[in-house]
Amino acid sequence: MKEIFSSPFFGISLSILAFWAGEKLQKKTKLTACSPLLVAIVLIIGVLLLFDIPYEAYNEGGQIINMFLAPATACLAVSIYTRIKLLKKHWLPILVGCTCGSLASMGSIYLMCTLFHLDEKITLSLLSKSVTTPIAVSITERFSGVVPVTVVAVLITGTLGSILAPFFVRLFRVKDPLEAGLAIGACSHAVGTSKALEIGETEGAMSGLAIGICGIITVIFSLFI
Amino acid sequence: MKIIKQVGIIFLICWLGLVIEAALPFSFPASIIGMILLFVCLLFGILKIEHIQEKSDFLLSNMAFFFVPAGVSIINYLDLLKSSLLPILVICVASTFITFAVTAWSIRLTMRLMNRRKGS
Repeated sequence: MKEIFSSPFFGISLSILAFWAGEKLQKKTKLTACSPLLVAIVLIIGVLLLFDIPYEAYNEGGQIINMFLAPATACLAVSIYTRIKLLKKHWLPILVGCTCGSLASMGSIYLMCTLFHLDEKITLSLLSKSVTTPIAVSITERFSGVVPVTVVAVLITGTLGSILAPFFVRLFRVKDPLEAGLAIGACSHAVGTSKALEIGETEGAMSGLAIGICGIITVIFSLFI
Repeated sequence: MKIIKQVGIIFLICWLGLVIEAALPFSFPASIIGMILLFVCLLFGILKIEHIQEKSDFLLSNMAFFFVPAGVSIINYLDLLKSSLLPILVICVASTFITFAVTAWSIRLTMRLMNRRKGS
């Protein structure tokens, strides 16, 4: 019986099926919080626990999907390159904003983790959580933190940022679309960017740029920790 | 063959990222090296967007899916998470707020200084 589940076909099909179900659910409920990734993770964990399937068996297929993470990260270069004109034109505010934002993110996370006396492994896994998942995961791996904690924290942060973005824009009286887009991208990466695109085209493009720039700046800062 | 070629280019860049990572005297994530490498290739025209368009669209638009197994592995850390779930949630909310505020304010200040210089 065990052999059936440890075929990579099982893990891959289960992942695709669960993600597809998540997408359907989000389309139906129209809730940002119902992200396909989150739904898929919960569904798969449910299936594994319910049928008592060992995680290692699922991971035979999981590993193959994991292999696409590095190529997907490399392709973030394409999304920066397609916005290079915008980057050249506004390089100073973009650089200052992303540097300050990344510092504020890592600093505030570190302070709060110390305040809550969190396990050091969790602290190290949270530090990078405001940047896009592939970069955040690379940083956590470097710190030998707990990668799944990073994945979930990045997801929660992105979802929160995307829900709160319109409210933040009003609260801080942000009038400049460049400022709004960069701030949304800096605090909530790709999930926030889809919201920024709904607000406006410039907001969306800026938010997309902030994903890559904040990611690289956060990697550089993490080298000194 | 077109897609195979594109897969080849991107996988090669990822492998070169690993090679460079091994050669560097300090540890720097290989996937980020791959990203910088691809950016430099595009910038200097060694690669054209058309060379990798379809494959990169496929990877970027399905990014979330590739993180499913990484997220599922949290099943091995449920105990660790149970005790610190509430603080983690508080940290996520607070740091999102702080990051937005600091980014927005620092950009506003920079723009104001730039305008003042332009004006004087």
